[in-house]
Amino acid sequence: MTNYQVHVTIENKPGISDPEGKTILNDLVLKGTHQNVSEIKTAKMLKFSIDEKDKETAQSKVNEICDELRIYNPMVSIVKIDVFDA
Amino acid sequence: MSLESRELEELKTKIGRDPTSTELQIVAAEWSEHCSYKSSKKHLKMLPMDGPLVINEKGYDSGVLDVGDGYVVTAHIESHNHPSAVEPYGGAATGVGGVIRDILSAGTRPIALLDGLRFGNIENDQHAKWLFKNAVTGIADYGNCLGIPTVGGEVEFDECYKNYAMVDVAAIGFGKKENLIKNHAKKGDLVVLLGGATGRDGIGGSQFASDSLETEDRSAVQIPDPFIEKLIIEAILEARNEQLIHAMKDLGGGGLSCAVSETADALDIGIEMDVDKVHTRESDMHSDEIMISESQERMLIVTDNEKLIKLQKICEKFRIECSVIGHVTFDNKMHVKKGETSIANISTDIVANATLLDLPSSKPVYLENIESTKQFPQLSDYSETMMKLLGSPNIASKIWVYGQYDHEVGIRTVTKPGHDASVLRLDNGKSLSIKIDGNPKQCYINPREGAIGCFEEACRNVVCTGAKPIGMLDHLQFGNPNDPEIFWTFLESLKGLTDFAKDFEIPCVGGKVSLYNETSDGPIKPTPVIGVIGLIDKKPLRIQKINSGDSLIMIGATKDELGGSEYSEYIHKFVGGKCPAVDFEESKKNMNSVLEIIENELIKSAHDCSKGGLAIAISELCMTNQIGCNISLEKIPGENLDSDKILFSESHSRYLITFENKNLQKLEEVLKKYNVSYSLIGEFIGNSIQFSNDSKPIIDLSVDKAQKTWFNSLREMVLRA
Repeated sequence: MTNYQVHVTIENKPGISDPEGKTILNDLVLKGTHQNVSEIKTAKMLKFSIDEKDKETAQSKVNEICDELRIYNPMVSIVKIDVFDA
Repeated sequence: MSLESRELEELKTKIGRDPTSTELQIVAAEWSEHCSYKSSKKHLKMLPMDGPLVINEKGYDSGVLDVGDGYVVTAHIESHNHPSAVEPYGGAATGVGGVIRDILSAGTRPIALLDGLRFGNIENDQHAKWLFKNAVTGIADYGNCLGIPTVGGEVEFDECYKNYAMVDVAAIGFGKKENLIKNHAKKGDLVVLLGGATGRDGIGGSQFASDSLETEDRSAVQIPDPFIEKLIIEAILEARNEQLIHAMKDLGGGGLSCAVSETADALDIGIEMDVDKVHTRESDMHSDEIMISESQERMLIVTDNEKLIKLQKICEKFRIECSVIGHVTFDNKMHVKKGETSIANISTDIVANATLLDLPSSKPVYLENIESTKQFPQLSDYSETMMKLLGSPNIASKIWVYGQYDHEVGIRTVTKPGHDASVLRLDNGKSLSIKIDGNPKQCYINPREGAIGCFEEACRNVVCTGAKPIGMLDHLQFGNPNDPEIFWTFLESLKGLTDFAKDFEIPCVGGKVSLYNETSDGPIKPTPVIGVIGLIDKKPLRIQKINSGDSLIMIGATKDELGGSEYSEYIHKFVGGKCPAVDFEESKKNMNSVLEIIENELIKSAHDCSKGGLAIAISELCMTNQIGCNISLEKIPGENLDSDKILFSESHSRYLITFENKNLQKLEEVLKKYNVSYSLIGEFIGNSIQFSNDSKPIIDLSVDKAQKTWFNSLREMVLRA
């Protein structure tokens, strides 16, 4: 068994509005001098530390946990799962 | 998702050519059940909609009631069942947003919200728990961010809502009569779209709501943004004060298609608009998508050139976007262009008025023997049954829910959630009382009596605060109307509500029909939800704490009506039996007598008897007042019945009146004058809830123990994984 760091990024599907990101863009970033920024999107990240036999299993196990426990709603969000060596 | 072939043929005949793709999308949205009410509209006309206090104006999305001294109250009810079933947080929150904009569009400020929530079995269904938890959070977050109190509602669980969510939201508005928007338009007036940007969210939502969940593609998800909604409210009210608004409509189901065609049709005008002028969230949106997008937090406003500049200034101040998307014409056509190219040009009368259907109906087979009664086995231990009921999802205290809502913001809330009905203070010294009630268990057994029962229960609740019912909101939720048996239950409920409304002279001031509510196991039970608005001219009942030695009078007869009761269904798992029926004469007498004793300040509190029967209603008084009671069942007014029927029957028109003994004589004078059936059934004393029958003890429960179970069990059910 090896320990892996698994990062789960949950964000709204493209096309679904993101009021938080829009507010950060309009009311914070564009109010400064950063006029070259055109979009900001918010997301939530969960960092799992998990013992598994290999990277693939670590990824599929975390994916399974997220689906089973409804960590995100597949109707609204997409998840990206990245695995790193601990 | 589009028009049925019959409807397409009809459209072609009406316009005399093939429709363009945009026209097809517009008409499909507007002719959907959700927007056109094509199955129900013919029948809804039976409801009485006029009354001495009702103000009718063309194009209003909410009911308006004159409460005197130059003030009006507006009210409306909406549901967001389908969206909440796939995304409970966003679905419930945007449901709140939609009904608030209906209140706003009459030119009144939203001052209170009520929610009716229904889910599957939360005791053992994880999905139901997830839906429930997130819908409550969605409502709390949205209402709390807006600073509008959620003052009441109801929560119910039933197997028929498996994997589904019923989210009903009622909103109340308040304002000056002179500030009401008098919807009108002149030639050359401008059409402005104000608020959030139009995006791809919720595309086809109204058609989605007109199909059962099993067949849809689940794309209609909307993301709530309460802060934009708050800015819209303030901007609109400021524009209203400066008289910048000629006409206004909120964008709900069907998006721009419905808002534009319905505004034009209501005002007898035409509107020419350009999709390129609509501010969008994504740059590559197709014209058809712009026309039917159901992005939230948008309002359509008709104004003129001169006022536009002021309106733009207000929008700038509140930092909300507004775009002039078109202008008013006088050809009664909805003309949509993309730049110079015409993409839809169609008579508004055709778009906004789908052909109404006359669907067949037939009495459901299941109703044949459902009201035959069943003798339940003798209970060995009533106290134990009581504890089970007090901890059951439908009876347990809903404090876990309303505790998450801000119910006092705005400082109007006089009587807070947890009582029979909530009471709001109005600026003219009067008070407003509101409650919504539903009872699918009884409506399933007898659609007519069940619906009347919901109506009477909501009336009872407002009467308990000292308010006289002045208006009603009906929300009729059923399964697929193309099933004649389901349509029959719809008609029966509607007829029942109509009879009650006419007899009691309570006009229907607003409502909504939601059909196609189906789950994987079939249609939901008939679920009409009735809201009643009551007005208190003088002071509302000031609820006082019950002390040792105070007495309890029961008004109204208890009958052999266990059908649809929590006792039958939760304890004995039996669906059937005689459904409680309202005796109109008795109901009226009882209501009037309660109003008079409250007005004469003779009592400490009035509580209605409903879910769980009188055993539960009396226990609620004990638990909320931390005091025991001693009740004699043989004294309960009504026929001579077995103990379980007396304790748990959910007969209507019953009230529990608590008072100081010194007022007994005066109280009895009033009750005798009205010739109501009543009786002194016991007193409050000690610290256990005691019921006896002919001096034989039946129930003996410690108040503390009962209270702990009743208070905590819902939260434990939700949070237990």
